[in-house]
Amino acid sequence: MIAALGAKAIEDLINAGRFGRFAWRSAVTSLRGCARRSTFPLIWTQMFIIGVHSVPVIMITGAFVGMTLAVQAYDQLAGMGLEEHLGVLINISVVKELGPVLAAVMLAGRIGGALTAELGTMNVTEQIDAVRSMGTDPVRYLVAPRLLACLLLTPVLTIFADMMGVVGGALVSFLQFGINSRAYWTFSASAVALWDVSIGVVKAFFFGGAIAVISCYKGFNCREGAHGVGQACTEAFVASFISILALDFALAVIFKSIYMIFWPVKSIVT
Amino acid sequence: MEKTTDGNPEHRTTDHAEPIIEVRNLSKRFGRKLVLDNISLSVEKGKTTVIIGPSGCGKTVLIKHFIVLQRPTEGEVYFKGRRVDNLSERNLNEIRTQFGYLFQEGALFDSMTVAENIMFPIRQHVKIRNWREVDEVVKMKLAMVGLDGFQNYFPARLSGGQRKRAALARAIALNPEVLLYDEPTTGLDPIRSDIINELILKLKRELGVTTVVVTHDMKSAYKVANRIIMLHNGKIVADGNADHIRNHPHPVVQQFINGQVGEDDLAVLRMSGAVGSSQFLPRDFQ
Repeated sequence: MIAALGAKAIEDLINAGRFGRFAWRSAVTSLRGCARRSTFPLIWTQMFIIGVHSVPVIMITGAFVGMTLAVQAYDQLAGMGLEEHLGVLINISVVKELGPVLAAVMLAGRIGGALTAELGTMNVTEQIDAVRSMGTDPVRYLVAPRLLACLLLTPVLTIFADMMGVVGGALVSFLQFGINSRAYWTFSASAVALWDVSIGVVKAFFFGGAIAVISCYKGFNCREGAHGVGQACTEAFVASFISILALDFALAVIFKSIYMIFWPVKSIVT
Repeated sequence: MEKTTDGNPEHRTTDHAEPIIEVRNLSKRFGRKLVLDNISLSVEKGKTTVIIGPSGCGKTVLIKHFIVLQRPTEGEVYFKGRRVDNLSERNLNEIRTQFGYLFQEGALFDSMTVAENIMFPIRQHVKIRNWREVDEVVKMKLAMVGLDGFQNYFPARLSGGQRKRAALARAIALNPEVLLYDEPTTGLDPIRSDIINELILKLKRELGVTTVVVTHDMKSAYKVANRIIMLHNGKIVADGNADHIRNHPHPVVQQFINGQVGEDDLAVLRMSGAVGSSQFLPRDFQ
């Protein structure tokens, strides 16, 4: 029993080490890739696949998040006579938390699954070995463009989700609950600062990186056969999902600390 | 003349040639399974060495060590006298361009056309100034394997034999010094198999490449080999020319080259019981 636990712990540690090395290599190779013109067409291709094709689904996700928040929060605020502050609650929640997190979860399912399946299939059909056998680094050729595309486009897609969340929430507030639009926007504008939007965008940058690295790692290390590829896709989604939530928590703590440090300075300046 | 494991170095009829690839005391483990057990051999420049052996005996693992797609658990790998198994992936890239590797299933990139597949190594390693020249090179490589005109086909539209030939065209795209073939005739009908054998001979003749073929197709082995090495349970059990292998006294070698079932395998079959007695029939579920 103890031996089995020990063996499992050692195996998990080895896997964590492998993942760490893979993530480090991917980051370094991607940084180098930014300076190589030959990588640009590969990044464009991935940006098209990852970004353009994800826009509709991300916008729908964002819109429903905003609309649902409006429906759920209206009664509580109306009970206190604060219904005109509904926009503050919806927009802060959307741009800081729900927009980036739910957009990232949607991307983990849509892009992460596709990346793992594609690279996993390439792995089991020896296409990744073929890349290596021809003297090309598969991390540079396959991982770096995908990682860079995810890093660059997840924040952009999150802005789309935020925008649709704001629009969706506003539409429900105006059309269903008859809230005064001028008051709604005035309160929202006074409460939602550029800092709040930036937090969401920076979070999305990290989420995008996590989705790409985890999905590529799972694809590169998947077991043989259709079952192996399927299992790798499931593991990639679960690991991405947990990473998104863990990163969200960690970044929330970090940003709050930063805010607490700089808030007094801000009040002095302004 | 190098040492051979069957203890008869004179069985090697090939003249002493410069070794281009050398492995010394190579062992490879996957978990607890020992796949290669203390193997030492050298591949001579310009010759065709065929590695035979039953499925799962470690043939593919061995040639993957030649190009360092696998790293040894123990032992060393040398290419042109330089130790390569301990090099970083980055340093290996330059060495790998001197190899062409034909994978068992071709391993063509299925998102690219045949032409793009062949262009891939060229685009990665050659500074292209004139794309028309690249098209000409692709056309020439495809013509060498008899596939000119298939440039715009995707791999999914090719038959098994065509896919292997397209993969071979990609393997020779950078004019390698060594060509490694992993089961080149597996899954092909006898005529397509012979076409591949003829291609192996043609490429050796025309490009002067050193060739290593992994196969369990004895007809192919006898046709293309200067030297045949047989692996069994991760060890070399026979090493010599075609005649030496044909007349080898080791029962495992004779069983393999004649395609006979061993007593161990027969015993397993007997233990599994008579067909029908242990199987469920549809009526059992009614």
